[in-house]
Amino acid sequence: MTKIIDTTMKRRDFLRASVAAAAMGGVASLGLGSRPAFAQAGTLNFQAAWINDAEFMGYFIAIENGYYADEGLTVNYLSGGPDVIPESTLISGRADIALTSPDTTIRAIAEQGAPFKIIGQQYQKNPIGVVSLASSNISSPADLVGKTLAVPPVNTTSVEAMFRLAGVPIDQVRIVPYQFDPTPLIQEEIDASIDFVTAVPYIVEQAGKEPVWFLLYDFGFKIGNDTIVVTEETLANRRPELVSWLRASRLGWEENAVDLERYPAMYADSWFAGTGRSTEVDTFQNVAQEPLQAHPDGYFSMTEETIAETIASLAEVGITATRDMFDTTLLEEI
Amino acid sequence: MSTVAVTPAANPVAEFASRHAGWLIGLGALALWELAGDYNLVAGGALPSPSEIIRQIWLDRQYLPRHIGATVWPALLGFLIGNTIAILAAITFVLWPPVERLTRGISITIFAIPAVALGPILVLTVDGIKPMVVLAAVSVYFPTMIAMLVGLKDIDPRPVDLIRAYGGTRRHILLHVRLRSSLPSLLAGLKVAAPAAVLGAILAEFGSGQRWGLGTYLLGSIGMGNPARIWEIGLIATAIASIGYVAFALIAGRATARTKQVTIASATPQDLAGTGGFTPINIAYAVGAAVVPFIAWWGIMKWLDLSPIIAKDPIGLWNYFFNARNSAVTQASLWDALLQSVPIALLGLAIGLAVAFGLAVLISTRPRIGNVFLPVALVTQTMPLVAWAPIIVLLFGRDLTTTLIIAASVTFFPALVTILQGLSLVPRSALDVLRTYGASGAQQMRMVSIPSSIPYVMAAARVAVPRALLGVMIAEWLATGMGLGNLLNRARGSLDYGMIWTVAFTSVAISILFYQLVTVVERAFLKKYRAGSA
Repeated sequence: MTKIIDTTMKRRDFLRASVAAAAMGGVASLGLGSRPAFAQAGTLNFQAAWINDAEFMGYFIAIENGYYADEGLTVNYLSGGPDVIPESTLISGRADIALTSPDTTIRAIAEQGAPFKIIGQQYQKNPIGVVSLASSNISSPADLVGKTLAVPPVNTTSVEAMFRLAGVPIDQVRIVPYQFDPTPLIQEEIDASIDFVTAVPYIVEQAGKEPVWFLLYDFGFKIGNDTIVVTEETLANRRPELVSWLRASRLGWEENAVDLERYPAMYADSWFAGTGRSTEVDTFQNVAQEPLQAHPDGYFSMTEETIAETIASLAEVGITATRDMFDTTLLEEI
Repeated sequence: MSTVAVTPAANPVAEFASRHAGWLIGLGALALWELAGDYNLVAGGALPSPSEIIRQIWLDRQYLPRHIGATVWPALLGFLIGNTIAILAAITFVLWPPVERLTRGISITIFAIPAVALGPILVLTVDGIKPMVVLAAVSVYFPTMIAMLVGLKDIDPRPVDLIRAYGGTRRHILLHVRLRSSLPSLLAGLKVAAPAAVLGAILAEFGSGQRWGLGTYLLGSIGMGNPARIWEIGLIATAIASIGYVAFALIAGRATARTKQVTIASATPQDLAGTGGFTPINIAYAVGAAVVPFIAWWGIMKWLDLSPIIAKDPIGLWNYFFNARNSAVTQASLWDALLQSVPIALLGLAIGLAVAFGLAVLISTRPRIGNVFLPVALVTQTMPLVAWAPIIVLLFGRDLTTTLIIAASVTFFPALVTILQGLSLVPRSALDVLRTYGASGAQQMRMVSIPSSIPYVMAAARVAVPRALLGVMIAEWLATGMGLGNLLNRARGSLDYGMIWTVAFTSVAISILFYQLVTVVERAFLKKYRAGSA
């Protein structure tokens, strides 16, 4: 159990040394994000799951509107990307809280003994779905037989589970890798792709084609996404700060929901500057994802039913989840 | 018959055309590209026209400078650091040859570690722009070190004899002969290293979570279904890389002209290939070279002190592969992947080298072809594959053809540069002898130029082996979903660092195996050829 603390301490020294070295070389003078990663009281390093887009709107608002500051917290926001594996950032001590995919996190706990706890989830329904052109008539997993489906390699097991749950023989679907580029779909080089349904349909529409989609969730693979994960160590030692973080973040999402079209435009020149995404896409996403994350008990909720569904769905892909991997008591304290 | 017969020389149009062939062909290609883009002729409109791309650059002008700066700066730092280390290493290797033999494993390992495996680990161990600097430095180390080494070793023996006769030491030889004669070869290495640094920096951005940089910009843009933006980013990256390449090409042009040997220099095979044979001392060195990387690996893991879930030292990896609960599955998926990837990599390598050799010979006999072709070749080299992949997939589909094209295209350019370098350094006196006897260009090529460029072909082949494997893995990762590339990608998605290390280790092991194989072939060839010509 002391392993993590040891690592953090050494990491701290190493980082300090390397920041100093970088400063001497004039590297730090560029200010290109040499973020402090020390575990100070009141400072939480938060690892997001992807590059800056509307998926993280609530956290941006909580930072900008001072919700974290009101709780006495300083939040260092760490952007993600395809090669950023949030769980690794947690294990290495560079982040205190991370947004992850539940299947990856739970597999790491079950198979490798990773010391993680899930303390909430942003998406009640995983936004991952099958997107296709209306002209291809694909409205359920069965319609994909004989078609080409592009799947990001990280989602392969989820897609396999969807087919198994729907009773569709997977070997009758041609699966190719997907790199989050909708061009092959628009060009009809592929028939369908697995992607967040909160953004791609808009892009397809802009290209003058009519998109249709369905969620994996709606065909029995009932997991959420952007699970909020901490290490057992952080949970034991920094519980009040985590509760504060959850409270302030929830406030951020509630503020966002007041007018879903307000903040994407407001942050176009700050958080979203130069991401390559247009404000229209982020606005579309912000509106489209709202029904997937809202919950009667408040954002981030995990009911016993939700957890049971997650456990059952993951069992379909051979991942053994148990109830004790989830900790709902922090949500209760908000 | 009223047609007036004109000789080409008397026809101003034909004269103009032949003098400016490169420009004309370039302009023609540009016009065709514009038409193909405007009328959506290629890949259903996925190929944007040059004017669309220029328009996109104008639209994006607000953020472009910052993205460019955020990529160029770490690439430049990495270029400086990596090359400094490479040059110092090559000098050390020449002064103390045992060091080279013992660290050979480390040198190849640095080159052969797949960036897709190194990136996620780097991001966890250093922060800020350092992952980009490190990956850029790692990308340039091997090509520069090898080029410098060849340059330092391939020397005119006569001044060496002179220095020795007057009691000069190895350091005097280094100072007065080797360093000078290494310059053209070093510059050729730096030419290849410049695009590699840009590519390394961009690849590292994918894992760094940085807000700015061309790689980050590409990530945000790739989901927008806007090919013009993808091409814009690719072309800017290409332009940056090309500036580095052209700068060193210009310097090389001057330096080579000054240092070119005017008379025959016959380097001895021992100098170039080392002493061969299975003597006890050689075997000891080989064992040492194999053991040193493992010690370094173990030491680095110890020093980083990361969680054993992420970091695997040699023993950890051994246990993961042989003694873990899932080991049987791990082994089976690795063999499957190897069988899919390795044959394609070798075929791609063969094609890449053959094309490079053919083109190098063609270009050295008809320099005008080089004027037209080298810029095109440079573009294919420096354009990030992530940007190319959608286009290649749309044009060639998702089968083995695509994998072969990518594998061959990443292999052939560095090989071309290195072989061209070899052909340009052919001793003039040897060619003069042939010319005196009325030998044709082809005969000069066959009898002198090609044989004397063999060390360079071999150097190219060595550099090409890991690249071919990487090319195949990138194609599998981006397009086909097969083999090692796919295995790596799925492992990253399931936090299976054991598999990431397994793939990294296996691909390094394969590269070293072929590196040694090329060395053996080279030695045999040099022995035969030099003995015959002496």
